[in-house]
Formats: sequence, structure tokens, C-alpha cells
Amino acid sequence: MLRRTLLPLAGAALAALLAGPTHAQQKTEITFARFFGACEGDYGTSQDVAKARGECGVMTTLVNLFNATNKDNILVKPQIVEWGPYYQQLNARIAAKDIPTIAVMHTAQLGDYTRYVEELDPVLKEAGIDAGDFTPNARTGVTVGGKIYAMPWDTHSWLWHFNIGLFKKAGLVDAEGQPLVPKSLDEMLAHAKTMKEKTGKPYIVIATSGPGDFANSARGYYSWLYDQNGSIFPSGYESANFKTPESLNAFRAFEALSKGEHITKGLDGSGALGGFMNGIGAVYMTGTWRIDDFLASSQKPGSALSEGYTTRVFPSLFQTKSVWTDNHSWVLPKGGTTPANRKAALIFLKFLWDHNFDWARGGGHLPARQSLMADYAKLPLRQNVIDIPSFGRALPHEVRRQFGFQNMIGEEIANIINSGKTAEQAADAAQERSVALLRGR
Amino acid sequence: MSTYRKGRSTADRLLFLATAILAAIWIAPIVWVVGLSFKPNEILMRTTGGIAMPPFTLKNYSDILAASSVFGWMLNSAIVAIGQTVLTLVIASLAGYGFARTNFRGRDTLFLIVLAALAVPEQAIIVPLHTMVAQADLHNSYAALIVPRLAFPFGVLLMTQYFRAISPEIEEAALLDRASRFKIFWRIVLPLSVPAQVTLGIYTFLHAWNDYFWPLVSATKPEMYTLTIGLASMQTNFAQTEGIGFLMAQAVFAGLPVLILYLFFQRYIVSAVAGGGSKS
Repeated sequence: MLRRTLLPLAGAALAALLAGPTHAQQKTEITFARFFGACEGDYGTSQDVAKARGECGVMTTLVNLFNATNKDNILVKPQIVEWGPYYQQLNARIAAKDIPTIAVMHTAQLGDYTRYVEELDPVLKEAGIDAGDFTPNARTGVTVGGKIYAMPWDTHSWLWHFNIGLFKKAGLVDAEGQPLVPKSLDEMLAHAKTMKEKTGKPYIVIATSGPGDFANSARGYYSWLYDQNGSIFPSGYESANFKTPESLNAFRAFEALSKGEHITKGLDGSGALGGFMNGIGAVYMTGTWRIDDFLASSQKPGSALSEGYTTRVFPSLFQTKSVWTDNHSWVLPKGGTTPANRKAALIFLKFLWDHNFDWARGGGHLPARQSLMADYAKLPLRQNVIDIPSFGRALPHEVRRQFGFQNMIGEEIANIINSGKTAEQAADAAQERSVALLRGR
Repeated sequence: MSTYRKGRSTADRLLFLATAILAAIWIAPIVWVVGLSFKPNEILMRTTGGIAMPPFTLKNYSDILAASSVFGWMLNSAIVAIGQTVLTLVIASLAGYGFARTNFRGRDTLFLIVLAALAVPEQAIIVPLHTMVAQADLHNSYAALIVPRLAFPFGVLLMTQYFRAISPEIEEAALLDRASRFKIFWRIVLPLSVPAQVTLGIYTFLHAWNDYFWPLVSATKPEMYTLTIGLASMQTNFAQTEGIGFLMAQAVFAGLPVLILYLFFQRYIVSAVAGGGSKS
């Protein structure tokens, strides 16, 4: 009897196992390689994008939302890697043919990867993404040799963040109590001198001592270089020139700040951020992504920013208004899609495109879509930075190993600030080091 | 006599004081790391001092434990570290014994090649190694995480030197008693080499547990991450400024299993290190 009952059951179970999962259970999986961290503790199951804060929170929530609500039975599997070695791992994956379906990429890196990622002009059209809505900066960022290789996700840029209390104490405010932003190198140094005399504090707070801090000064250098319409590649991309008058001016701006003791020395990222929030200096050089943190701090009674905080685009000291920018973007690495999951990848890209504002609001970057700018401007202080996509600049894509250049320039400026190197010595060293970076391009 | 005792006592006290100072200097950063791991990140954005003052939080640890894969990563690390340790001990002991006690053609040349391998940095071979493992289609497997690390010249050198220092007379007596080479190795030499084995074992285990670069490029699927890669992947882009407490909790969490192992095997480890130091 038992045998008669169990045998058919066992047979049915075996048949089910051999048949594999039913069609209804099958999901089309796409892998999604990114940095931005993991935050399952705060956003593990959250689908409420409006409440998500920070890059990690927004990305995690967006993926949760997509996985829970898409009607095409698609499962996005995030493959999260630490920011620092992200590109090393991506290179290794491409070499090993273990290629993700979609991957995040800084557009500063895109020039190094055009052979390995799909051209996206036709793909975007197929996905229903309107490339005509890209901001000018985003369009430049994702376009190499006239072809689009990525879907832009944001613009991030370099700002001055102001402790208004210290500016008031130094008398460096206008009639409305807003900080006076210098319009020339001399004016900046005069303001710095006044700040020091009236408050005893340095004008600029910057992190320059940790390996991850070198980008800070490099982005300032680029901003002041572009501000003079300068280039470190004035005669082609085979060789760099760090000794042009514009490049030397940018180095000298840091040298003058350092010589006058107007810039913090030897601080790492944590020390500089904490220092600014504790009022050790008047201006913090960092990116768009810090606005909400400082705003929140300024709203706490007793905080060093409680007398006021504001932000402005990195000031133009020379004749051309410009500033360093970069973009996060999404690429489809060649070999990462299969005929089975390609459509799913495009559906997910479109979903991200439709949620670009959520990223800008919660992630702290400017949107990549022109149509979102008006709404973005309504967020606190964003009116001050809204123009960046129209004049922000980056190194041309023809320049390979841009992160290598960024670190190298940052190290040389750190040497100026922390070790008393002169602008000329830093330019010489950068010149010499650029040869190795460009070798084998 | 009493002067001698007095002098000795003063010397002991000075030695104790110096040891205590050195221990305090060594332990201070660890205390700081542990203290920071219990502080809220938003406080640490403003200051990293005052670790003994409230507020405290367990959120940094709960955030780690909230990652659904964290125990899987820990298991991966344990499998890789134990696998590497056991296999390295086997290979290094056999190779070391061979170099120390047997004569074969090309032995010295081969030993020189092993020594030369000590001077080759990991970065120099990472590309061909990665390519080889890719061609064998082994990435994202335990084999890929363990096997390339078994070529460990330092282990071979250590064991060779240790075996050479053991008096050959014991083995000669055994040979006269018609014991086989392997029997001599297994029954006589290997037990005598326990201090060196433990030293090498500790070194290999810690190296494997803390390994970062090779797992980063070989284990690219989250389910194959080791603890170091998995924990690092959780860091936000601005972890060093806005997530210091979380970073410190990660450091404590990753170090905890090793610390627990140390507490269990403290007696053996100390005697191994002490024995290793006074061996010859």
C-alpha cells in the first residue's frame, strides 16, 4: 500500500526535478556591476525611492523597486565592488570573459574602454531613451569620436562650501550676508589674508594626505586650468605639458595659498571633513555630493556651521568660467549580454533613465537629463550649481589613464601644500611622471 | 647577595615597565579602532576623538550582519584559509625535507630557483596567472583561490632550514633499522618540526585570511567573495569620511575569527614561536 502511494509521488517528484523549474519561475537575470557600496541594513528591502538618501541608498532601493515591480520577469543581480579597485576588477573580468551585463563607469575612464563596451546610439533608441535630453556636459562625457558609448547618469563637479559664520566674522560678506566669492587670484589671497587676520583660521580646508585625497587638489587644479582655457595637452595627446603658463598659474595658486598658511596641511579626508564641520577653516573644497550633509549640519544648534552654510561653483579666478566635471554612466560591456537577456538589460536601463531625478536628489549629483534641471533647481542650494552642465569640462577622451593623471597631479599639489615644493618643481615632476603615464598609449 | 637581588629586581621592574609601555603603544590603535566601531558615523564625521564618551551604537555591526552574504563570505574565507594552510604545510614540508635531506640531480639549482622566486613580487605575475586561471575556466571557484597560493617559496625555505638544523644522526639510526625515507619523515622528522609547522601555519593562515588582491580579481561573483572583498564591497564611495565607524566595525569583524583562533591556540602559538626562536 505504502509502496503504491509513494512510488507515484516519487515518480512525479523526479519528473518535476528533471523538467526543471516551471516557466513561471524562470527569471531573466542581468548582472549589474557597480560601486557605491552596499547598505542592506538600511535599505535591504526598501522600495521607497523618495525616502532613500545617499548613493548607496538610492541605488539599492532602485534595484529593489525594479526587481519587485517589473512585469517582464527580470532579476537584476548587483555585483558590488569597492570603489578604489573597481576598474582593476572590471579589467580582470573582461580579460576572463566573466563580463557583467551592465556596468557603471566614470566618463573620465570611458576613453580607455571604447574597445570593450558597446556603442549605444542604436541601443538607446531601441530602449526608448531620448539622447536629445542629455545635458551638454553629459553628452560630451559619454561621446567618444562622435559616438555614444554610455548612458549618462549624472554630472558631478567641484565646489566651494562656505562657513558663513567665519565669513561674517571676517567681514567678507555682501549686503545680504552671503560670502564674497573672489574673482581673481589676488582677490582670493586678499580674502584669505583678511580671514586669517580676523578669525585666525585658514581660508581653505582641503584633504591632501591620504591616497584617496589626491583627487581633491587635482580637481581644483583642473578647474583653474580650464578657467584659463588651458590644457595639459596643447600639442596633441602623445605628450603632456605641465609647464604652460596656465598650468603654472594653477600650481602657483596652491603655492600662494600654502605659503601664506591659508590652506590646511596634512589633513586626510576624515580630518578635513570633520575639521570643516568643526569650524577649523572657512571654505571646504569638495564636490556637489556634500551639500546635503553640510546643510543638515548647519541646521543643528551649536554646530560650527549653525550661523549659515552655502555653496558656490569653484570660483573663476581667471578669464573663462569653467570647472572640473566627471559623470557616472552605465555601459554595456561587449560580451555581457546574450540574446536572452539583452532586452532585459535595455528595460532596466530605461527604468534607470526614468529615475534619474531620484539619483540626483538622493545621490547628491546633478541630473544627466536637461528636462530635470528645473526640478533639480528647486532643491536646497542647487540653484547655485545648476549651470555647471553648461560650462563644466573634463579631459578629452583621447587622454588615457585619466585617473592616473588625477592622482599624479594631486600628489604634486600635496607636495606643494605639505612639503613646500615650489610650483615650478611640481610642474617639472608632473612633466617627468606624465611620460610614464602616456607610455604605450 | 642582597645587592644582586636588588639590582636584579630593579632591572626586572624596568623591563616590565618598558614592556608595558611597548604593549600600550601597540594596543592603543586597536583600542581606538574598537572604540570607533561603536560610535555613530554622523558623530565621527565631526570628530574621531572621545571614543569613551557616549553616544554609542551597535548599528555599524548590525549593518554588517544585515548583509545577507556575510556568513557565506566568512565561510569562503575559512575554506580558503584552511585549505591553503593545510596544503601549504604538506607541500612545504615535503619539499623542505627533500631539499634538506635527499640528494638528487639539480637539487641545488632547483633550490636556487625556489629562493629566486622569493624576489618576484605578486604584481609581476598577476596578469599571466589571471590568464592561466581564466583559460582553465577556474575563476570564481575555491580552486582558483587556493591553488595559485600554494607556490609559497618562503614556506619551502623555512622548512628546509628547519629540517637541516635537525641532527641527521636520529635519521641515520632509523635508516640502519631499515625504516623507509617516508617513514622517517612521517614518524621522526615531522613531529620534531611541529614548532616550524605551527609558525608556517599561522603565517599562511593569516596571509590567506587577509588576502585581498587575488580574490578581488578572481572571485568576481558576490557568492564567491571572501570576507575581505565582501566587506570592502559594502563600503560607500566616501567611507573614509562618512563611514568611519562602519569601516572600523568591518576591521574588528574581519579580525575577530583570527583573534578567537589565537585565544584557542595561544599556548601552541606562543610555544611554537618561542621554540622556533631558540631552535638550533
